[in-house]
Amino acid sequence: MTAHSFPPTDGPLQPPRKGWLLWPFHTLSRRMGQGVAVTFYSLVVLIPLAALFSNAFNDGWGFFWKAATAKEALSAYKLTIICSLIAAGVNAVMGLGTGWVLARDSFKGKAILNALIDLPFALPTVVAGVTFYTLYGPKSPVHLTLTGTWTGITVAIVFVTLPFTVRSVQPVIETMTFNAEAAAATLGASPWRVFRTITLPTLLPAIVTGAGLAFARAMGEYGSVVFISNNLPFRTEVASSYIYSLAAAGDPVGAAATAVTMLLVALAVLVAVSVASRRLVKGH
Amino acid sequence: MGRSPLWLRIIVLLYVGVLVGVPLVFVFQQSFAHGASALWTALHDSSMGNAIDLTMRVVLLALPVNTVVGVGAALWIVRHPSWLSRVVDRLIDVPLAISPIIIGLMLELAYAQNGWLGRPLAALGLRIIFSYPGIVLACIFVSLPLVTRQLIPLLREIGSNQELTAASLGAGPVRIFLTITMRSIMWATAYGVTLTLARILGEYGAVLIVSGNITDLTQTLTLNIGANFENYNAYQGFVGAGVLALTSVIILLVLGVARHRERKRHEHLA
Repeated sequence: MTAHSFPPTDGPLQPPRKGWLLWPFHTLSRRMGQGVAVTFYSLVVLIPLAALFSNAFNDGWGFFWKAATAKEALSAYKLTIICSLIAAGVNAVMGLGTGWVLARDSFKGKAILNALIDLPFALPTVVAGVTFYTLYGPKSPVHLTLTGTWTGITVAIVFVTLPFTVRSVQPVIETMTFNAEAAAATLGASPWRVFRTITLPTLLPAIVTGAGLAFARAMGEYGSVVFISNNLPFRTEVASSYIYSLAAAGDPVGAAATAVTMLLVALAVLVAVSVASRRLVKGH
Repeated sequence: MGRSPLWLRIIVLLYVGVLVGVPLVFVFQQSFAHGASALWTALHDSSMGNAIDLTMRVVLLALPVNTVVGVGAALWIVRHPSWLSRVVDRLIDVPLAISPIIIGLMLELAYAQNGWLGRPLAALGLRIIFSYPGIVLACIFVSLPLVTRQLIPLLREIGSNQELTAASLGAGPVRIFLTITMRSIMWATAYGVTLTLARILGEYGAVLIVSGNITDLTQTLTLNIGANFENYNAYQGFVGAGVLALTSVIILLVLGVARHRERKRHEHLA
């Protein structure tokens, strides 16, 4: 409905001017609002981002390349990417299952389960970090020591990124109709075949989106990982921890170069995910 | 078709229970591990008190700023599309995809005393890095899109017919904003603001770099927990962690209420 058709023109009312809707952005205040918004965004995000890039290339391309591909940096990238990929994969599978149970079942305590899913978003990462370190550390009460291992790092990342796939898959399952599934079942398809050929393709875009977001978040994780990892250079040092150690040691150019590399990887993942999920939607 | 098999439900309950439930219970158990009097003493630790104080002051500035900016940005993007607002819309999630450590590094490079913005500000006698303004800046950055991304789809969906009607009946812009726009986005805003609060309270990596982590001066509660833990004072760390864990459980309850109200409002309209 457009503004012109309302209210009826035969009445005493005057058609409203569209400008009213734009408060607080109409006329002068709109200009001012835009100015304030641009200044704010520049001061908080854009100028610091520019400062990062400028510092990374401060000493020329050669230094950037040397810092970004230092041996310790390469092993940190490798560890971070592998652990993040595994965590995203685990969360894709378990998130699908959890989303399914939350969307389709009703049982006592479901509300608690639903609330627990969001806990990793609400719980500070450092709290998760010290808890996992103590729970699975050298004096573990459950006799399971994961400190200083890739498994420990992956467990911490899986915890932190748990909500992403669940929350992207759950609403899709809630609104799904199962007509095609029912038809396939009456034609003699096994439940597994129905799931694999009909249900899974429908859910794939949501799974890819959730797993992609989880991966991007995992790549930058610090507080939850830094304790359980023990931070051993070349072995269990994640990328953000390596960047922190460079910054703390007074090497801003090296830290910025490594940070720029990680940013570009995260950006590439986000773009790939949005392209992939758009293709999957189209292909369906 | 539809209901999940029992084995799936059991696996999911075990998975979420072990991964999330056990650590949550464990935090509280550790806080009470040495009895009530030890807990009472630990709660009155002066460094932790100072850290809580600082965290509160950061919340008091960063939360209102991000609420106003978040609501304003969402209205601007949805109601006043332009090339600029479309660019902002595309980039809105970027702060969430950047590692907190990198955010801290970016702010330090720009606002340190030899940085682009830090130098002129230092000439004016303003210190940003290793001080309160830097911590606030870091918290604003990490939680910047949380309100806006709750509101954009909602504002698109509700459209502007009600506001047009009110305007045609003679309501002024302030009245329209307060009685119609704000009323329909109230619970979604509450949801976004609560998420923002959780993010500010829990920020660690960015604040670690920007604040310098000076005990009693620039140490927020999360930094205090980390420092106690690293200095072999794990119990004190766990008491702080217990305080934050309790806060996050309360935050979860508020989020649940906000989501429930928003859904009810939605059903009411439909």
